[in-house]
Amino acid sequence: MQCAEALRVQALFDGELEALSAVEVERHLEHCPECRVLTEELARTRALLRAAPPERAAPALRRRIGRLLDAEAAARAPRRARPAAWRLPPFWQGAGAGAALSAACAAAVAWLLLAPAATEPVLGELVGAHVRSLMPAHLTDVISTDRHTVKPWFAGHADVSPAVADFAPQGYKLVGGRADYFNGQRAAATVYQHGAHIINVFTFRADGRALPALRSRDGYHIACWTAADLQYCAVSDAGWDELQQLGRLLRELSSADARD
Amino acid sequence: MPHLDAAYRFARWLAGSPAEADDLVQDAFLRAFRAFDTLRGTEVKAWLFAIVRNCHASTLRQGMRRSFVPLPDEAAGEPALVGAGPGPEQDSIAGDEQRRLERLIGSLAPEHREVLVLREMEDLSYREIAAATQLPIGTVMSRLARARAALRTQWLGESAGEPHAMR
Repeated sequence: MQCAEALRVQALFDGELEALSAVEVERHLEHCPECRVLTEELARTRALLRAAPPERAAPALRRRIGRLLDAEAAARAPRRARPAAWRLPPFWQGAGAGAALSAACAAAVAWLLLAPAATEPVLGELVGAHVRSLMPAHLTDVISTDRHTVKPWFAGHADVSPAVADFAPQGYKLVGGRADYFNGQRAAATVYQHGAHIINVFTFRADGRALPALRSRDGYHIACWTAADLQYCAVSDAGWDELQQLGRLLRELSSADARD
Repeated sequence: MPHLDAAYRFARWLAGSPAEADDLVQDAFLRAFRAFDTLRGTEVKAWLFAIVRNCHASTLRQGMRRSFVPLPDEAAGEPALVGAGPGPEQDSIAGDEQRRLERLIGSLAPEHREVLVLREMEDLSYREIAAATQLPIGTVMSRLARARAALRTQWLGESAGEPHAMR
């Protein structure tokens, strides 16, 4: 026959009672030998169950799952870019499929004419996004130094799956990730910290227009490169060398990922 | 990967063998990855345990795998769940006790075993256990009490007269 208070005694033992009930149950314990025995038994069972060091997943399993998730993330990144600059003017929208080809041609011609000047607004957008990210509570949507947290997060929130790793040993600590909208896409922003500097690495689908490798604007440095069909742009007030070093690390990572 | 060790331990108590636990955790992480953007709130661990549990349930339904088979008394061939104890002279006694304990946990009813493992091994709160098992908190509490009582009774039953018994 069990005392009617047994469940509350258990809850007290598990730290699940709010203060008022806890006082009641403690008072009950003073008068109920059966529940005092129960408490002792709960403690002994717990000691026994927690005596062994916790088991851990085998490193091979960890590696296998890591590879699977990376492959899954790569497969989920959309295959082909739809260049934002090719989007049709409003009056062309709703035109039939037959018009699509000629529209694309016309857009391509317009694109060739506009291309040289067109990269400048993108650089402005990049700096804008970087500065916005430095405002309070804007930096990261997912905070983690683990690329297996950041990368999957991007899969659900951005149109691209960028190369992500924690380069803390090389001085570039992975802080987290954020989704950003520009260039007509849900771009991925990966945030690194280098000393006192925050570096935003924006990744979006390359659309053929060549961004300058190095450029500064409004006192911020921008380093751009492409890997496969992805455009990477690192923006920071860190120095050129620091920015380019992170670029090198990420390019190496991209080519290592591509080989796997 | 966050909570991989915890997910593996939980899977180890659900699945029959280490290899099946590996497969189960792998399935669960892939499923979790695909469903990552549906995750709301902050109870990532409970959410992940729920996925491990659902993966296990669906493999059982498909009849692909056996349900839990208690670990053999002598850890024949398979690595024991528990590593080396505190010292060489303690190893054999502590090891025997641990193996016996694992066997007893393994022989609990699955619905009792899971709440016990989540509470005692993984230190989940009642609310988290309720989220992971999709049970009302009241049911979690009563199952936990029954699991603990059953374990205690079996331990006592087997330990009668032994010096290191949990009385």
